[in-house]
Amino acid sequence: MRKKTTLAAAVLTAAALTLAACSGGGDGTDGGDGGDGGDPTEAVLSFYTDKAAWEPSFDDMNAASEGVTATLEFTGYSDPTAYDAFIKQSFRTDDKPDLFTWHTGDSLAQLVDEGLIAPTTEIWDAAIANGDVTEELAENYTYDGEQYCVPLNVVYWVMYYNKAVFEENGVEVPTTWDEFMDVGQTLVDNGVVPLHQMNIIFEFVWFQAILAGLDPDAYNGLSDGSVSYTDPVVVEAMNIWHDMQTDGYFIDPGVTTDPQTLLQTGEVAMAYFGTFFTGQLTDLGMVSDTDYGIFTLPNVSADLGDTSVVVETGPLCVGAGSANEAAALDYSAWWMGVDAQSAWSESRGDVSFNPGATVTDAALAAITEEVNGDGFLQLRRYLEATPTPIYTVASEQFGAFVTNNGDPMAVLEAIQAEADAYWAEN
Amino acid sequence: MSLPTARQAELVPQRKPKNQFWLSSIGFVAPGVLLVAVVLYLPFLWTTYISFTEYNGLGDPEFIGIENFRDMFADPAFLNSVLNTLYWVLGTIALPVGLGLLIAVLSHGLPNATLFRLPFLIPYALSGVAVGVIWSFVLQTNGALSQALVFLHLPGSELRWLLDAPLNTFVMIGASTWQGAGVNALLFGIGLQSIPKEPLEAARVDGASGFTLFRTMTWPMLAPLTTVVVGLSIVGSLKTFDIIWGMTKGGPGRVSETLALTMYKETFINNAYGLGAAVALFLTVVTVLASILYLRRQLADSRSI
Repeated sequence: MRKKTTLAAAVLTAAALTLAACSGGGDGTDGGDGGDGGDPTEAVLSFYTDKAAWEPSFDDMNAASEGVTATLEFTGYSDPTAYDAFIKQSFRTDDKPDLFTWHTGDSLAQLVDEGLIAPTTEIWDAAIANGDVTEELAENYTYDGEQYCVPLNVVYWVMYYNKAVFEENGVEVPTTWDEFMDVGQTLVDNGVVPLHQMNIIFEFVWFQAILAGLDPDAYNGLSDGSVSYTDPVVVEAMNIWHDMQTDGYFIDPGVTTDPQTLLQTGEVAMAYFGTFFTGQLTDLGMVSDTDYGIFTLPNVSADLGDTSVVVETGPLCVGAGSANEAAALDYSAWWMGVDAQSAWSESRGDVSFNPGATVTDAALAAITEEVNGDGFLQLRRYLEATPTPIYTVASEQFGAFVTNNGDPMAVLEAIQAEADAYWAEN
Repeated sequence: MSLPTARQAELVPQRKPKNQFWLSSIGFVAPGVLLVAVVLYLPFLWTTYISFTEYNGLGDPEFIGIENFRDMFADPAFLNSVLNTLYWVLGTIALPVGLGLLIAVLSHGLPNATLFRLPFLIPYALSGVAVGVIWSFVLQTNGALSQALVFLHLPGSELRWLLDAPLNTFVMIGASTWQGAGVNALLFGIGLQSIPKEPLEAARVDGASGFTLFRTMTWPMLAPLTTVVVGLSIVGSLKTFDIIWGMTKGGPGRVSETLALTMYKETFINNAYGLGAAVALFLTVVTVLASILYLRRQLADSRSI
């Protein structure tokens, strides 16, 4: 009898542990408040982002959306790599995210290919008709004729400069490439480092800036394989970059101090960055248009009609088949409107993709108007425009090039070897 | 032989059903076995399977045979990663272990030896990433070290500590030594205290002293602990990740990557889960082989003593 009891206890313990292990993870649909078909204003959306530091802004958006559409339940990751892995894994469970931030380009294509994202074509059609968003921006979100996700934000890549350093060295904001080079040379002659650059994360940006300003068609052609990295115009862009490095136009990449601090202290006179840089400068107490200014980088080639400006945009996506899919789509439609975008722009102190939104920072408002007006050509950022396997090799090669200023042709040949392999299969 | 007493007869099982014993044993062991199977064996088997597939973390893995392994061994960055890992293994045995032993031996027997060893132990309380951040501040171009060298009119201020390979790997091993020597000193200190005094005194009476005493008496008697410390160091250095991630992220380019970084980058940054799994499998095999070979040798030696 005692033996039987022992046996039963042991088997029960094992069974209980197994059940406990299997039941972990739950059904994933806790709440589903105001889910499909319900009142979207009552819905609480599970919202995930790798922008953990932006939580206060999403709180502000919850205040703005109250009584109009759903509320976000914020979960922020500060490590983008861990976040990407988490989102991918979440689609293998029943607990799919209602709303989440992601990346445009190849990363979004992967999710779309697997049918993990809810289409937003109707939302885009309405927003374009309303004038809430430009048609050009839609290209970043279009796969096989359908749109997916809505823009979380938009970033224009422009030149930030320290006004005091410019004044002390008697240089003005350049309007042509030659003038830009002269500014650089004057600063070098005066012992000031003209430009910032990094050998990690943003190692590609000067390749992007120079080639986009030299030949935008070639720049675009690299992203679809119609142009080779070893074509003469791409080689010319690399040589320009190489010469600028040789001539001391860039800070030593071994300096790992934050770029905003380097610009504030005048250790660099200029930094080519996305408009998100304004927020980082504001955090240091720098005042826009007083301590620093912004200008669009002139084209390298004077023969081009429009000035090339690189645009980066990140998406806000709805998980297909998530618990609150309909409410999340309703939220997405609200997000693109003027009210939401004005609230977002004010909270972030940043530009908005919606031309009707109020941008509080005068310099950013001016840049937004400028690059969305005549005479400017918007191009996708290199990171999003390039297929991931090619970008991976390119970022390694550019990182090494920034560090050692080696042979430009060797860099381009290494990237092209990967591009050849990629385009042979895709 | 005496007859069994009534009590003994009670204890002897009467035609005990063997099956029941086994069933209850399985019942007790099963939870543990299940847990180990679910959290250790299954992931290992899954990783092994993934290493033979092409997989981006979404959808279903596609079986491609040994292609990942072929790509891996054909990739110069991977081979460089193997070389860097080797530097780390050799460097870790030579420096944190060697220095730890030196600190322990020098402080052994001193009054207040703990006070001497404590400062070396403090960095061990820091995480590897924090150590990386501190040392990258020291070693960056025009950083604290370069400025100190200029101030002291010493050579070397022009060196790009974190940019040039293999210098960056060597200085990172230095940072790891700063962090890890103290705990090795602590372990060796415990080992030294556990050595019986009599043989040492007998050796001293026979005229042995200084380095001879250490080489012929202390070192052999310290062998069991040395085996543990070196064994742990080999395994630890093979999977070095955090300090490198905090200092160079494996760069510039990929020149300071170790196998652990290559595995992480391929999997989570390049989304090549199959290739990442292949690197993981390679690293596992190397770690297990190194451990077995080392421990076998050491244990065989100690048996022969």
